[in-house]
Amino acid sequence: MKKKVLVVDDDKNNLMLEKDLLEVAGFEVFEAENASDGIAMAKREKPDIIIMDVRMPKMRGSEAARILRQDKETLDIPIVFVTASVMEEGREELKDIMNSGFIGKPINTRTFAKEVSQFIK
Amino acid sequence: MVTTLIDQISEDIVETIHESLLVLDSDLKVVLANRSFIDSFNVTREETLGRFIYDLGNKQWDIPKLRELLETILPQETTFDNYEVEHDFATIGRRVMLLNARQIEQATGKERIILLAIEDITERRKIEKGLAKAHEDLKELASELERAARVKSDFLANMSHELRTPLNSIIGFSEVLYDETFGPLNEKQKQYVNNISASGKHLLLLINQILDVAKVEAGKMQLALSILPMKNILDEISLLVLDMVSKKKLKMSLEIAEDLPSIEADELKVKQILYNLISNAVKFTPEGGKIGLRAKRADCGVEIVVWDTGVGVAPENMEKIFEGFFRVNTPYSQVTEGTGLGLPLSRKLVELHGGTLSLESEGLNKGVAVRFVLPVISSEDGFK
Repeated sequence: MKKKVLVVDDDKNNLMLEKDLLEVAGFEVFEAENASDGIAMAKREKPDIIIMDVRMPKMRGSEAARILRQDKETLDIPIVFVTASVMEEGREELKDIMNSGFIGKPINTRTFAKEVSQFIK
Repeated sequence: MVTTLIDQISEDIVETIHESLLVLDSDLKVVLANRSFIDSFNVTREETLGRFIYDLGNKQWDIPKLRELLETILPQETTFDNYEVEHDFATIGRRVMLLNARQIEQATGKERIILLAIEDITERRKIEKGLAKAHEDLKELASELERAARVKSDFLANMSHELRTPLNSIIGFSEVLYDETFGPLNEKQKQYVNNISASGKHLLLLINQILDVAKVEAGKMQLALSILPMKNILDEISLLVLDMVSKKKLKMSLEIAEDLPSIEADELKVKQILYNLISNAVKFTPEGGKIGLRAKRADCGVEIVVWDTGVGVAPENMEKIFEGFFRVNTPYSQVTEGTGLGLPLSRKLVELHGGTLSLESEGLNKGVAVRFVLPVISSEDGFK
């Protein structure tokens, strides 16, 4: 069985890059271009892991993560934040989100899929 | 005889006192006025003594608050301190006065006298007002500076984010192409995409270094201090640069003293400093040259020298090189990769640890030695 991964990012290029890298590594990839679509898809597909951008218009990734953590169905899904906000200030809002990780942008294309798998239980 | 002496002493005391002093009888007529009163309020003794206090100076002393003090408060309280009166005098202008009054019952007879000390605090009030205003101004300035610092720091965070997002695509897609994940490339194509990702990574290094410099300057760079075994760190770094050194056919000499003490410092930043300096040495030394790393115990820390036999620095550029984006202008260096920020950033990081970094060069084409000292215990300044 392929592991399911949901990628949420408002930048289409990032979405394509991450999707391609993860598919090559053997994941089944679902995409969402904004946080609320991402939440809906997480409930529907129950992915093994969610890759989440932080700075998105309308709803930030951190806010989406808090909503997912309040829902029994999505409570346990690990979330990896992939964000270009690599300065300390950018990580502050992610600190108290349970079962989450952090990968800075630009990503390392050669290790990205491996880094992601490490967050799956 | 005794009475006269006491009278004389009393009068002397009254005259000696720096504050203006009036003695009034029970009808509020002036019995005595000291020199300070005469001088301060620009009146003569003749037009003062024996006069009703409110009539003084053409009725200028007919002050409602003074009447209140003398006629209402004093008969009940017998003493009163620091009663503030503000009044506009025709002769000397607006004055702020502090009045201290004592009502004294004389033992013989029912006569009472009133001592009225008048302290002119006009100047003091002016200074106090000036101070209060200066204090307000300072507070405003401080909050303005705080706001400016916050705007700058937000700007840096935004800039960092905005620049990284497209770089993620540039570096990411070119690497995937280079790795031929989705099909083979011909040699030219492979070379081109390699150029794209190398330039992208160079741009990323620039962004990171600019942000680091800005962070140090904003006092926002924090040190994660731990005890570092310097000998191990230096060995580790020299292994890390081996590849880069041998690619340029350089000879690297290592002289690391056996008795190097451990120091308290930020491991990542110390490695960053060493890596910056060694890669500068490699960059600015032509093929076949020599570079070296020397480390020894210093007075209260570790002294490290990174030297090379490369293009050197002209005396007039020794300070300019620390200003950032400076490029040594030789035909050789123009083709050399570099951000021009490695050395200035390294100096800032050393200084953040409470150490010093200096550059020595005998001149153009005579090589360079960068010498820095890291203290055993980093100074408090680092914890901003």
